[in-house]
Amino acid sequence: MASDGGSSSLQLPCVFSPKSRQYLAVCAQDGRLRIWNTDSKTINQEYVPSAHLSATCTCIAWGPCRTVKEGPQRKKRKSEAVQVEEKADLLAMGTAAGSVLLYSTAKGTLHCSLVSLEHAGVNCVHWHPEDSVLYSGSDDTNIVEWDLQSGKMRSKWKADRAAVTSLCVSPDGKLLLSAGHVIKMWDLDTKELYRKFTGHSTAVTTLRFATTRPPDSNGLYFVSGAAHDRLISVWQVREDGKDKNSVVSFTLTDEPRHVDLVPSNSKEEAVRLAVVCQDGQLHLFEHFLNGPCKKPFSPSCSVQMADTRESPMPIPMLAAVLGRDSRSVLLAYGNHLQPVIEQVVSNSTFSEITNLWAQMMKTVKTPVVNTKSKVLVPGLPGHQAPLKGSHLEKASEKRKKDTKEMSIAEQLGEIDLSATSSEKVKASLQTDNYAVLLVQGLESNDADILNKVLQTRKEMVIKKTVARLPLSAVLPLVKELTNRLQGHPFAGILMVRWLKAVLMHHTSYLASLPDLVTELGVLYHMIESRVKMFHKLTKLHGKLYLLMTNMVSEVDHTAKLVYEDGEWD
Amino acid sequence: MASYKPTNIPVYPKLGEKVTEETLYWKNYKTPIQIKEFGAVSNIHFSPVTPYNFAVTAFTRIHLYGLLSQEPVKTFTRFKDTAYCGRFRSDGQLLVAGCEDSVVRLFDVSGKVALRMFKGHTKAVHVTDFTSDRYQILTGSDDYTCCLWDIPNSAQLNTYQEHTDYIRCGVTSQLNRDLFVTGSYDHSLKVFDARVDKSVMTINHGHPVESLLLYPSEGLLVSAGGRYVRVWDLLKGGQPLVSLKNHHKTVTCLALSSNGQRLLSGSLDRHVKVYNTTSYKVVHNFDYPAAILSLALAPEDESIVVGMTNSILSIKHRKPSEEAKETAGHQRRRPSYRVYAHRKSYVPKQDDYLVSKPVRQHLAKYDKQLKKFNVSKALDTALETWIRGRKPEITVAVIRELDRRGTLKNALAGRDEQELSRLLSFLIANLVDARFAPVLITAAEMILDIYQSIIGQSPVVDKQLLHLQSLLERELDYQKDLLEVLGMLDTMFASSLPKIELPCSGISTSNGLPQGQSTASRPQILAA
Repeated sequence: MASDGGSSSLQLPCVFSPKSRQYLAVCAQDGRLRIWNTDSKTINQEYVPSAHLSATCTCIAWGPCRTVKEGPQRKKRKSEAVQVEEKADLLAMGTAAGSVLLYSTAKGTLHCSLVSLEHAGVNCVHWHPEDSVLYSGSDDTNIVEWDLQSGKMRSKWKADRAAVTSLCVSPDGKLLLSAGHVIKMWDLDTKELYRKFTGHSTAVTTLRFATTRPPDSNGLYFVSGAAHDRLISVWQVREDGKDKNSVVSFTLTDEPRHVDLVPSNSKEEAVRLAVVCQDGQLHLFEHFLNGPCKKPFSPSCSVQMADTRESPMPIPMLAAVLGRDSRSVLLAYGNHLQPVIEQVVSNSTFSEITNLWAQMMKTVKTPVVNTKSKVLVPGLPGHQAPLKGSHLEKASEKRKKDTKEMSIAEQLGEIDLSATSSEKVKASLQTDNYAVLLVQGLESNDADILNKVLQTRKEMVIKKTVARLPLSAVLPLVKELTNRLQGHPFAGILMVRWLKAVLMHHTSYLASLPDLVTELGVLYHMIESRVKMFHKLTKLHGKLYLLMTNMVSEVDHTAKLVYEDGEWD
Repeated sequence: MASYKPTNIPVYPKLGEKVTEETLYWKNYKTPIQIKEFGAVSNIHFSPVTPYNFAVTAFTRIHLYGLLSQEPVKTFTRFKDTAYCGRFRSDGQLLVAGCEDSVVRLFDVSGKVALRMFKGHTKAVHVTDFTSDRYQILTGSDDYTCCLWDIPNSAQLNTYQEHTDYIRCGVTSQLNRDLFVTGSYDHSLKVFDARVDKSVMTINHGHPVESLLLYPSEGLLVSAGGRYVRVWDLLKGGQPLVSLKNHHKTVTCLALSSNGQRLLSGSLDRHVKVYNTTSYKVVHNFDYPAAILSLALAPEDESIVVGMTNSILSIKHRKPSEEAKETAGHQRRRPSYRVYAHRKSYVPKQDDYLVSKPVRQHLAKYDKQLKKFNVSKALDTALETWIRGRKPEITVAVIRELDRRGTLKNALAGRDEQELSRLLSFLIANLVDARFAPVLITAAEMILDIYQSIIGQSPVVDKQLLHLQSLLERELDYQKDLLEVLGMLDTMFASSLPKIELPCSGISTSNGLPQGQSTASRPQILAA
């Protein structure tokens, strides 16, 4: 219901594909999954998991990149798989309805759906790095292990007393972290509890392994973030099992929403962490993990996006991933429906980037919908409906420019150009809007809407609006215009334009009405009674005109013709 | 002796909206009181007993307001999450409410802590209601089930799992304790009987159902969902009676006026529409500043309470009625009435000779002046601000009377700057009105004739004359346009003529009456 719309605490998943970062999967407020290409900044695919908002997507996880070998349903794709070797393909989505959907970006359709018997909402999904196994944690406090080859549930166990909100499999695939209010570490071979970490008082939303070392070497660390907690905690898995508290914490400005992490493989390598907070800020951390540290760390760099108007408004960050080298960050910001994706490379440290970004914010580009993108309509999976063609043509010019990464100078130069072109697009859209608005206004007799529409002065807009008007709305419009024609001529002149447009455009329809005379009789009489005085009014106007022009010209006091009597005598 | 005949004031048809009894009735509310709540106001329910408090469900709270108070008299805050659907029992003692955390809570209206907690649903509960025997509670939830609960031992009596989507509205019958209706987002309404374990009737609304209403007689059921309000006849097995589409966005709430004669619907398009329940026509329309989520009417339509998405609660109270005012007036006059009572109660006897007293004619001010042939003064009184602003037809009638007498020139002449500018402003305001134009054009011409010599002497008058000129110019442009339209209409009527005449000549006997009417009316229009 509409009252639900106000809750902004809803976390919308927004995830970059692993390794090459080629795609960004975003599930927006409208319940659709959109996959954006990060290179071309265009929509690659669009998919509606369910017509019903109850079954919206709650979490997304990209499957590991690999060449696929087994599985009867994938044989078809084998030839393709050779070329797209390193591409991320499968995407697992957990829905609030309790099912896990596997979506294939290569095929552009739903791959399969994993449905459990309970309908408790899935909170998190995580892929096993090597085997074709998927883990999901749900509201009913269970962790489910899915076998992707058969599409069946392999095992299921109760993990917590509260709902399982986060999962993470260790890089070597032997351990699984799960969290409700308590973080638990499970041995995946035996499905037995290995360790337990207490400390968070609210639901843990983020779990990530920070190092890739075996658990019995004192070198295994992981990070966690919880709801309403302005901290990222780092935990050490110690040999002796005396791991009561977190060893290190990083301070944030708000609760973490999206965390990306580059794990360290050796003691000499620092862990790099990028955290996007609820308030839209990005914080970057760099730290060598070597034992406990009492003081919480503040970020090495914080970034807040803003537009560069007179009074800058902050633009919320959605997700950020760190590049392979330490200098690049891939960012997604704006809103979930149309995120802006930008790769930022710096020659120096991060703190200098902030200034740079402030300039770039002027060119917040609107992403473009690709012609090739698919939209799947709910109901039959795989059923396709074409996107509306109208705005694609408009967009095509812009797309050519956007396909390549622009330098800042180019982007700045683009501002003026884009301002005019966007205005054009707006004007052409307006007529369509007006027709819809007008029908709505006529249906509900809404004075505000009708005033807004009927007081347009542009001839073109009137014509187009009338042309797009459905037939059922023609007579109500004529009636409304009849009401508005009586009154002051200033208002009347605008209404006459509308009336003319209606009569011109719908002549044959109106003439075919059997009760045309009764329908338009009132209008006819009204106009006739008004026009009756035309003759007299014109005369009065002439009189007044003469007098007034004389008055104005009276300034000239010299006589045009002077008779001088008596000279000829 | 012939008495003076007062000036005839012609009655003109009023422009604009037709004023009916309905509009007068529904316009008779004071300016709304607006109260900011903590979140979107999802439900409003009036207590069925005096003092008619009403429960307002918004965000995680339920506030009880008194009928006239602007402060909550009581607040229920023991909700873990968003509360839904706070409803009173028919004795006004208990209040039940659902919650996002799937627990249904029952409160004593005077208490604070929940008396009972009904746990059993697995998702948010949006529907709660008491059955008519007062001992049971109906709930409907987002887990697609609806349940009946026993209040004394807080046990779940029965569960119905027939809907295939969220249940967002439901009502219990007030006549039969076993009957209730639920509406769901799966587009269906289901009528349940607690004596059988399944629904007894299913009706397809065609859109996700947002609100339900049973008429007091319970023969008719009203459902709202999508942009439609639909009325169903339950006695005929759910036959659709009426489908109303008067909103341009989803209809979210329904209410019935106290006498059951009017149906109200509120919608996300910010309107509340009032329908007549015999003709199902919209008789009135209220505008609100934001999308409407909930709506309730106080008993006797004393106030209209509306809850909106921007978390504002708007309360409109009815103005004290005319009768109440009149009785107050009578009380003041009572002593004089008593003194003169004996005269009024005197009844003439049979043989009494009645001397008739000439009825004293009451004349209006301008008529008095006209009677005395004070033409200038008559025009002055007719041009008084109140008359000229509110009833221009009186001024116009006086001008016409003066014109008829041939003294209009005298009346208009000899004015100073201020009076002339008053005359001109009246002309500017009313000259283009088709009803007054014939009279006023003559007056305007006379004014120009009389005062053409003084043009250019007073800046005020000159400015007004220029204004009048530009107005006339506009009006002439406009009339030219209208003449063109008239031409178009003529063509259109002409082209539609043979189509009507064809059946006239051929099969004229089949339905002669309506055609006869139409042909009768057509020549009139064409001739005129």
